[in-house]
Amino acid sequence: MLAIERGPDGAVVLNGRLDAAQAPAAQTYLDQIQGAVTLDCGQLEYISSAGLGVLLKTQKRLLAGGGKLRLVRLKPHLRDIFTYSGFDQLFEIESGS
Amino acid sequence: MQTPVAQRPLSVHDMEAILRVTRGLAAPFDLTTMLGEVVNAAKQVLDAERGSVWLYDAASQELVLEVATGIRPVRVPSGSGLVGACARERLIINVPDCYADPRFDSRVDKASGYRTRCMLTLPLVDHKDVLVGVMQVLNKRDGVFDAYDEVLATALAAQCAVALQRVKMTGALIEGEKMRQALEMARVVQMSTLPTAMPVVPSYDVCATFEPADLTGGDTYDLALLDERLLIVLGDATGHGIAPALSVTQMQAMLRMAFRLGADLETAFMQVNNRLAETLADDRFITAFIGILDPATHVLRFHSGGQGPIFHYRAADDTWDRYKPTSFPLGAMPLAAMRPPLTLEMQPGDVLAVISDGIFEFENGHGEAFGEARAQALIAANANEATTLILERLRAAVRTFAGDAPQEDDMTAVLVKRQDPLWARASFERTFDVIESMAAFSAAAFARLGADEHLLPIVDLAVEELFTNMVKYGVGSSAPVRLEVGAIAGGVEVRLTDVDVEPFDITQAPDVDVNAPIEEREPGGLGLHLIRRMADSVEYEYEKERRQSRITLRFTSAGLSARR
Repeated sequence: MLAIERGPDGAVVLNGRLDAAQAPAAQTYLDQIQGAVTLDCGQLEYISSAGLGVLLKTQKRLLAGGGKLRLVRLKPHLRDIFTYSGFDQLFEIESGS
Repeated sequence: MQTPVAQRPLSVHDMEAILRVTRGLAAPFDLTTMLGEVVNAAKQVLDAERGSVWLYDAASQELVLEVATGIRPVRVPSGSGLVGACARERLIINVPDCYADPRFDSRVDKASGYRTRCMLTLPLVDHKDVLVGVMQVLNKRDGVFDAYDEVLATALAAQCAVALQRVKMTGALIEGEKMRQALEMARVVQMSTLPTAMPVVPSYDVCATFEPADLTGGDTYDLALLDERLLIVLGDATGHGIAPALSVTQMQAMLRMAFRLGADLETAFMQVNNRLAETLADDRFITAFIGILDPATHVLRFHSGGQGPIFHYRAADDTWDRYKPTSFPLGAMPLAAMRPPLTLEMQPGDVLAVISDGIFEFENGHGEAFGEARAQALIAANANEATTLILERLRAAVRTFAGDAPQEDDMTAVLVKRQDPLWARASFERTFDVIESMAAFSAAAFARLGADEHLLPIVDLAVEELFTNMVKYGVGSSAPVRLEVGAIAGGVEVRLTDVDVEPFDITQAPDVDVNAPIEEREPGGLGLHLIRRMADSVEYEYEKERRQSRITLRFTSAGLSARR
């Protein structure tokens, strides 16, 4: 399961698994956001290529409008996936512990 | 002479007489005593020499003479003679001179040596207007029966009919209750011989289920360790009621004794068969699977007397072997010699399934049977689970299938599964909704196999990427996708198998340029790219016959560290 909500500091908080089953709902949510947005990944347990696709599409849209996604507190085991896919070059990522 | 009942009221004196004699009718509970009471009452009230009662047998539509002094029971069709006419018309027939009436049957007199002079024949109809029988009163002591006697007899007949009907119904209830108690007792005996606990067999997981039908069925099973060997029995006796329940119990006891005495499979099968052939009724027999498993060599030797099919699920390639009976049912006829038993070898993860026809033949409301295919599909899909859980799901599946349809036969199943310390296997429907259950399956497999937890996230990713590709591109297939996780030196091997699909060699898929600028990046192809980066090895095989794609991935702790 995946829960997405706005944190008290305005960050978008992802909680759970961003897999192929959850990607459509995540895309619908992220299609609504604008500008420079912080994505709090502290409780994101899992991401697959379907999830990466959601982030890529969102990043492309935000960049076109002068905004961007910034990922914070990304867990180390997910960091590998961003590295292997070259997505670490597409997002500003701040790793968690 | 046929006379309608006169409408003259009874005198108080005679009313008292009737009530006095009929009071005696309240007590008896058995038919013979009651019939004697009825005849005595009639003789007293009507001052007659003799009396007899014909009971109406609704099933055969005959009148049966149950009581007549010195005469054997006689049956006549309910339409014939004086009694027949009386039963049909439900009117009193008063015959003052029997030998002058063509309807009179003198054969009864000839048989008894008694001479019937005059006779009243009256219908016994209870308060619900049901014909209970016909009463005949013979030879008024001083003359012939008159119209007043007819009134008396009518009043008496009403009392007698109700009393007789009460006894008949009580008798039926008692008979029913006796039968129910006997069946219940037979069931208790049958159940008491079933194992109270499943034997603990090294590297095996064994379980059985037995759900008796209400009244019928004669199933049994046995799972017992005899020395180091596992005895596996499933039996089903023909017929309904008490006898089958008791004969399977007898068979099970004989088998245990034969094996405890050291008999080999052929000898035990033959001896038990021959004893049953002597003792069972000619139209009775018992279908039975009898197997002996050696848990050290994993070799199962078995005979099956008319019990089949026997299913052997082969976990490694997800296929079934199906065995027919090796012999005719036990007890059908004596055996002088036997073929050697069949042999099969249980590989890790394999399941032996012996299931009674009460499960296969359980019909739903549309007359459709549960069948073998449903049972096989359920066991294959749950082969990774504990046998108790597989059987629980099998029972639930049968109940769901049957709906409101009643259980007509005992349902029995025995499962013997060789545990697989190295592999976990499961099948998943082709929908993204199962992705999370696949992850849960992998996590459980890692825990059971003792695999390095650091490998779990990349295994989850690889499984999802490959599975979602299979769902997206294998659109012509409706078969579930099989996932296997196995322990290998320093890590895990993961296999995904997809049948009824076109070949697609993922190892030949083009690589993704991960250094391209964002405007040129697309999500497509990323999954396979990630898998090739994260796995130690990726292999693809296609088997044309089953149109089967199989992807084998290996992940090791050493490989993971090297990539970081």
